[in-house]
Amino acid sequence: MSWNFDRPLVTLCDASTNEADKVLWEKEDLGGITEDNNRMPVPVVLLVVLTVLTAFAVTFPLWGQRPTAALYAGYVKSMDLPEVQAIQDDTAAMAKIIQLNVGKGDDAKLERHPLGMNDLRIIKPQIEALVAKGVNLEEYTVVGDLIVNANFEGNKKADVTPERIQPWWDKGYTIDIFYVIYFFLMVIILIKRLPPSTWQPRHNH
Amino acid sequence: MFKYLLAKNEDIPAGSAAVFFGFSSIIWFVIGTGLGSFNAAKLAFPDFVTGNIYFAFGHMRQVHVMAVIFGWISMAFAMAMMYITPALGNSKLWSEKLGLWNCLFWNVGLALGLTVLWAGITSGREYSDFPWPIDLYLAVFVFIPLATNVWMTVLTRKTQGIYTTNWFFIAAVFMVIIVFLVGNSPEFFHLTGLTEAYLTWWFAHNVLGLWITPVAAAIAYYTVPKVTGNPLYSHRIGHLHFWSVVVFYSTPAAHHLMSAPLPEWLKSFASVEGVLILVPAIAFVSNIMLTMRGKWYMFVENIEIRFTITGCLMAIPLNMQGGFQQTRAINWYIHGTGWIVAHAHLALLGFSTFLEGAAVYLGLQTIMRRKLYSLTLANLHFWMLLIGFTIYWVSMTIAGLIQGAGKIYEVPYIDVVIAEHPYMIARWIGGTLVFVGNILWLYNMWMTARVGTVVPAGRMPHELSYER
Repeated sequence: MSWNFDRPLVTLCDASTNEADKVLWEKEDLGGITEDNNRMPVPVVLLVVLTVLTAFAVTFPLWGQRPTAALYAGYVKSMDLPEVQAIQDDTAAMAKIIQLNVGKGDDAKLERHPLGMNDLRIIKPQIEALVAKGVNLEEYTVVGDLIVNANFEGNKKADVTPERIQPWWDKGYTIDIFYVIYFFLMVIILIKRLPPSTWQPRHNH
Repeated sequence: MFKYLLAKNEDIPAGSAAVFFGFSSIIWFVIGTGLGSFNAAKLAFPDFVTGNIYFAFGHMRQVHVMAVIFGWISMAFAMAMMYITPALGNSKLWSEKLGLWNCLFWNVGLALGLTVLWAGITSGREYSDFPWPIDLYLAVFVFIPLATNVWMTVLTRKTQGIYTTNWFFIAAVFMVIIVFLVGNSPEFFHLTGLTEAYLTWWFAHNVLGLWITPVAAAIAYYTVPKVTGNPLYSHRIGHLHFWSVVVFYSTPAAHHLMSAPLPEWLKSFASVEGVLILVPAIAFVSNIMLTMRGKWYMFVENIEIRFTITGCLMAIPLNMQGGFQQTRAINWYIHGTGWIVAHAHLALLGFSTFLEGAAVYLGLQTIMRRKLYSLTLANLHFWMLLIGFTIYWVSMTIAGLIQGAGKIYEVPYIDVVIAEHPYMIARWIGGTLVFVGNILWLYNMWMTARVGTVVPAGRMPHELSYER
């Protein structure tokens, strides 16, 4: 296997290897099927690049994750307010709680993860217990009727345990970045080992 | 066919195994879609066939799924491998006898597996529902013999190069063995909890990604250049397609469990890889479409090309859905709804079925050297399949969106059931159209074998004009 790095974007093979490949390519009959040596069309390359960028962009902010306990801390606090407790109807009470918390937290996330009064009654004692312990509510997620330690592995705390908060550098993305780079490097090398795309086989010769 | 089981290999006519597999696959397709139609009727009309546990939806659903995946789809793949692999190497199948026994054991094992599933003996793991003895049987008597025949045929080829289709075949038969043995390891080793959940979906994801998707695409790489006579547009794009399937399709299993307590970094990794599944899709669709240059009239006139290109076009919505529905942003809405059922049918009944349908049409005519008995029946089959599938896909997608809204906004369950009832009826109509179309197909291929016009040596079936 001979290599030639004079024109790496054209071919990585030396002239004799390319010539041998061309002869075989034109001579060989693969069950009556032939192949051309066309380059990747520019729109295909652009689509692939767009796909890679989109793959990271569409998942990077980690949209759609479970709500944290911190998201509902405001709601839980509002449950004890006299004006809320005075309302007998659950739907009206919930509407009042939502109204009292508009602009105080992450409104968009609260809208995506709506709760009813019954849900709040279930998680209220759990959130209050966590607040009493003095822990960071961002490290806890709401899973159905339970509030549990989030399964994130973020930056290290002083005691060397990981924060249970999504860091900006997610380990999964870091692996992805290297994985994608290795993949495209290998495919480019593989393709550049073929005869240059300026050459096309003359079929039936 | 059975008379050749004990014959010497050299006395068995070339293509016998492919014919055996081809007809088996169509029969399983009829059975599988018949079961699907029956199950859909139970969802559309809850009073339909009640009082017998063996006809309860819970008993019947996985029988339908496994019949279609391991009967229709996988046997059609085996059929394609039995005639395409040697054809591309200008050689013969390494062992017709092994192929025939392989097909016999496959039919027996599948019938046994479906019977125990029907009886309610199941692993309870979706897509790997068979109990572990059946899993081992399938690995040892189905996939390992198939792989041996494919690998040995490639090793004994008379060409120096290996064409793109055979790259996929060689790799897919290897990967499906690994997927089968590793994916079913929770049953072999009594793994439970999150490990079981992850491996269950690792199996389900990879049986789609490393078996069904690449083999279906490989068939198109053969059918389109072979029937149109055009060269494959780009060997280079073939490389991008093959390696991106191997690299990007094998990794995102965790995206099936976005709401499970897996490490979030694993979900992030899988989610990015999930979108990157679009890379092989772009490569595949562009390469096949560009290969069609100057021959688009065949999309109208030729039944195999019509099936292939329709399947190929379905790869676009399939991968757009597949790539994005697994992101956290969309998954929280559609997870656990009919949307996923619609997507699964787009993959198996849309994309994949149309591609291997072309392979079976082309293969049976070529091997038996018989022109298709009736083009009218083939056209009817195509349109019943396409219209039936489309009704199914659209109705289940809408039902899924309704269920998603019901789930997020906590709409009472019974209200959601009432709201989606019309779509369940549409689903049954669509599925039944597919089932009836497949009966016509079986009849057409049976008549082709019996009274189809003889195709002279050296000619392709589509080069002859139709006589009826």
